[in-house]
Amino acid sequence: MSTIQLDQIIERVGTLPHLPSTILHLVNVVSDPRARLEQIVEAIRYDQALTAEVLKLCNSAYFGLARRVESLDDAVCLLGTVRVFQLVMAAHARAMLSRPQEGYGLPAGALWAHSVGVAVAAQLLARRVRLPQFGSLFTAGLLHDTGKIVLNEFVGEQYAEIVRRVTEDGASFLDAEQQVLGYTHPEVGARLAASWSLPDSIVHCIRYHHDPGACPQAEPLVDVIHLADAVCILLGVGAGDDGLAYRAQGAVMKRYNLTEADLEVIGAEAIGELRSVQAMFTER
Amino acid sequence: MANVVVDIADLAVSADPAATLITYSLGSCIGVAVWDPVVRVGGMLHYMLPESQLSPEKARSSPAMFCDTGVPRLFRAAYELGAVKSRLVVKVAGGSQLLDDNGTFNIGKRNYLALRKIFWKNGVMIAAENVGGSISRTLKLDVGTGAVTIRSRNEEVPL
Repeated sequence: MSTIQLDQIIERVGTLPHLPSTILHLVNVVSDPRARLEQIVEAIRYDQALTAEVLKLCNSAYFGLARRVESLDDAVCLLGTVRVFQLVMAAHARAMLSRPQEGYGLPAGALWAHSVGVAVAAQLLARRVRLPQFGSLFTAGLLHDTGKIVLNEFVGEQYAEIVRRVTEDGASFLDAEQQVLGYTHPEVGARLAASWSLPDSIVHCIRYHHDPGACPQAEPLVDVIHLADAVCILLGVGAGDDGLAYRAQGAVMKRYNLTEADLEVIGAEAIGELRSVQAMFTER
Repeated sequence: MANVVVDIADLAVSADPAATLITYSLGSCIGVAVWDPVVRVGGMLHYMLPESQLSPEKARSSPAMFCDTGVPRLFRAAYELGAVKSRLVVKVAGGSQLLDDNGTFNIGKRNYLALRKIFWKNGVMIAAENVGGSISRTLKLDVGTGAVTIRSRNEEVPL
């Protein structure tokens, strides 16, 4: 069985879905704690397609706004800059993540639903543990599993062996990826994110979302993405063949004095928000 | 064949013999399928969490989210279509767990125990179940025949 090397995969990412430059710029702006809200609006304003997208979403029945939103300034005024940014990101992540990922047994839309679920749950968790609302958190949630899209293209015949090890040997999905391929989807995703020049905070969230303990230094953002992912995996939000075959780190919960009931509340709220987001995109 | 998809934190009942009730991605959540062979009425619930006291507000807006509010609703909805409790065939799937060495994340287990408790109190027997492990399951109920299947990792088995 020939295994494609991680470096070879990264060399080929030119053929893989990518984030448009406006989006990359936007992510960098919101990840910078010194950035001003107006800079977010400016980053969107000069991209006509993005602006049109924002207006379309704002005028969806979901928001039930009394009057038609006709300009970006209107949108920002009515919904707030952060909400507008999230809409833009969710729309773009959808273009990238919505295709079926056969390699992971994920039907169309499942990976996107999972990613939005994690982004939403991460924000709720951040609020719960009083973590400042970094703009990078939502993006990190949306992008944490991008490694799966990459591997889906290359895993091919080795996929059956990964699933066999999980099913028959009781291995975690991550261990099985490591054993069969020599690398894992968080590693691949982090390499991809780094090649896009995304901020380190986001790259670390992607790299360590299944194993925050391995992060060279404790990063609250990584912890929050780990827990948000665990909640969504538990609730089966966009679950594939990997199912629940991941390890969750209870120590992370203890670090923030979180109980299982806290996570349940977060899960219940996240499901509600996810439904709203999905409804907003499907009614169009 | 009409597929009726039961979302997470939702339930559905049907008396249409051509209908199939289906719920996807049961992780730690529990899917309950009920079927009355005489009137051929079927119902399905996909609940997320064991107890509604966690969030009374959520329980009001979406009672199917919790075991203690969702299960009675499922049964009542089936009765409204003519089903009778003593005839109901009850099958259960889900309640999976993460691979977690110290048992911090045991929602799946608690979900299942909550169901056993409410069934025991009300004298309801589980005819068949496929619970636990670390897999995600899809549960299907054919309303015309009462056939229930579980699908996971491309394998579909009768329950």
